[in-house]
Amino acid sequence: MSTLAEQRTAALNTPAQRIRKPFPLRQLVAYLILGIGSVFLVAPFVWILQAAFGETSKAFVIPPLWLPVNPSLDNFVSAFEQVPFHLFTWNTLKIAVAVTAGQLITCSLAAYAFARLQFRGKNVLFFLLLSSLMIPSQVTLVPTFIIMRQLGLYNTHASLILPALISPFGVFLLRQYFLTIPAELEDAARVDGASVFTIYWRIILPLSGPVLTTLAILTFVAQWNSYIGPLIYINKIELQVITVGLTLMRGRFGEGALGPIAAGLFMAVVPVLIVFLLLQRYIIKSVVTTGIKT
Amino acid sequence: MQAVPTAAPAASYNILKRREAMIAYLFIAPTLIGFLVFVVGPMLIGIGISFYKWNLLTPPVFVGLDNYTRLFSGDPRLGTIYGTTVRLALLVITCNVGLGLFFAILLDRKMPDLLRNFFRLSYFFPFVVSGAAVAIIWTFLFNKDLGPLNYYLRLLGVSERINWLLSSTWSPVAIIITDVWKNVGFYVLVFLGGLQGISRDYYEAAEVDGATGWQQFRSITLPLLTPTILFLLVISVIGALQIFDQPNILTQGGPGDATRTIVMYIYEQGFKFFDMGYASTLALSLFVIILILTIIQFRLSRRWVFYQ
Repeated sequence: MSTLAEQRTAALNTPAQRIRKPFPLRQLVAYLILGIGSVFLVAPFVWILQAAFGETSKAFVIPPLWLPVNPSLDNFVSAFEQVPFHLFTWNTLKIAVAVTAGQLITCSLAAYAFARLQFRGKNVLFFLLLSSLMIPSQVTLVPTFIIMRQLGLYNTHASLILPALISPFGVFLLRQYFLTIPAELEDAARVDGASVFTIYWRIILPLSGPVLTTLAILTFVAQWNSYIGPLIYINKIELQVITVGLTLMRGRFGEGALGPIAAGLFMAVVPVLIVFLLLQRYIIKSVVTTGIKT
Repeated sequence: MQAVPTAAPAASYNILKRREAMIAYLFIAPTLIGFLVFVVGPMLIGIGISFYKWNLLTPPVFVGLDNYTRLFSGDPRLGTIYGTTVRLALLVITCNVGLGLFFAILLDRKMPDLLRNFFRLSYFFPFVVSGAAVAIIWTFLFNKDLGPLNYYLRLLGVSERINWLLSSTWSPVAIIITDVWKNVGFYVLVFLGGLQGISRDYYEAAEVDGATGWQQFRSITLPLLTPTILFLLVISVIGALQIFDQPNILTQGGPGDATRTIVMYIYEQGFKFFDMGYASTLALSLFVIILILTIIQFRLSRRWVFYQ
């Protein structure tokens, strides 16, 4: 026997539950449409995989193939024969790691100062830094090139690394996080005679793992994928990076064969794919909350 | 007696404060130097160069407002290029926002975790792949004779073999498809975040009042999503006006100027024709346009954005 109260809640719950319970046909239609979307987004990758691992002559045929024919690594071998792909990969990795490490240092130092220290001009400087987020990087393309050329850095990796070592966005992201760390932790250390740098290094950084990871991922992926910078600053094939390298393989008029290019695409995408699968929660969260476009 | 103990801490407090400020300047120094050299410097130099004619080989020649006269009245290609840029941007934003919202609503329902994760991953993955790689993949997919896209369109009853990359009608469509393919997952996830932020109470109240699904969407979901929509519009206007990678790789701006965007034109003037002055002037015009559009969006947003 149920009590009156239980009966009343049951009566209240029933209609709402009936409406909220998913109508199966509707659910099926939703799955179907989502599935079509997924196929459209995933199919090109499957096709590239087929082309990378299959026989070169069968990579690009009508009707299209979806599984590799006579799987082998031949396409990878010819990718390395056509272009110095190992150098492209090494250059890309070197630049991305240098920029990521640099940004973690410069951004966290500045962010700590803006979050916790008192100094004259703090608010003005922070506002200036933030307002520069409105300046699209493409707008300063030409003058930055001229500065690099005057500094003798044309055709060096420094021209790609130096401008990317700082990031107003990174400073902002880290500052917002540092502000949420309780100040009592630092006060205790200060009473014990810890220096500002010790507090930053021993207390703040160890507590900021998630946000530092977020910044590292965003920076690394953005650098790994960058295209217009290397296109402008690098004019020697042995200094080139993967993105431009792939366009060189394809050729000016798309005359390159698909097989080796697909092998190159595979090698270009796999590191990002690994980072993405390992840290997908971080990536999705950070991209959604910060609105960064890679 | 009392003056001594209070004066000493005050003095040492001042010293401490000064020390703290010194350390703070050291902490921000790397960022500040980089900011001056690579952001403020280039902005000012860009404005300066816009008054010169300079091909990097011979010394710059002061030409006054010549580059600006050319910008406003002496460049027949510029109107077409800005037209293409704006048209592409509008279509790309509309498709991404529309499809993003559509798929997010479909995803925002009870379903097995495995399925939800599969959908989330498959929608989002193209977004982390470089624009250059995406464009190269699509060059092959769009191939007129051997491309899978035309093959499957034919199976669906499209008898004409579309010349995706070489026809002035279809090449902008190809750019839009490529952009949406790469970016729509980002919009889906941001909208999904927005949808999940809407309290269920509103829907329960609406159900008690007998509101239909469409009515709930019109009067609850859409108004409460307006902050998300504003955020997406602001960043996608800034992004879409700077499209470069895809058209540069897929169509090289052609045929003619059918897919040439303003950033491609800046790149071309600066690094192919080595007209640094005019390239800087073009870049400044883009900057001003983006600035004005962003301000307008924030101003107008007061009329249509609701906060919970």
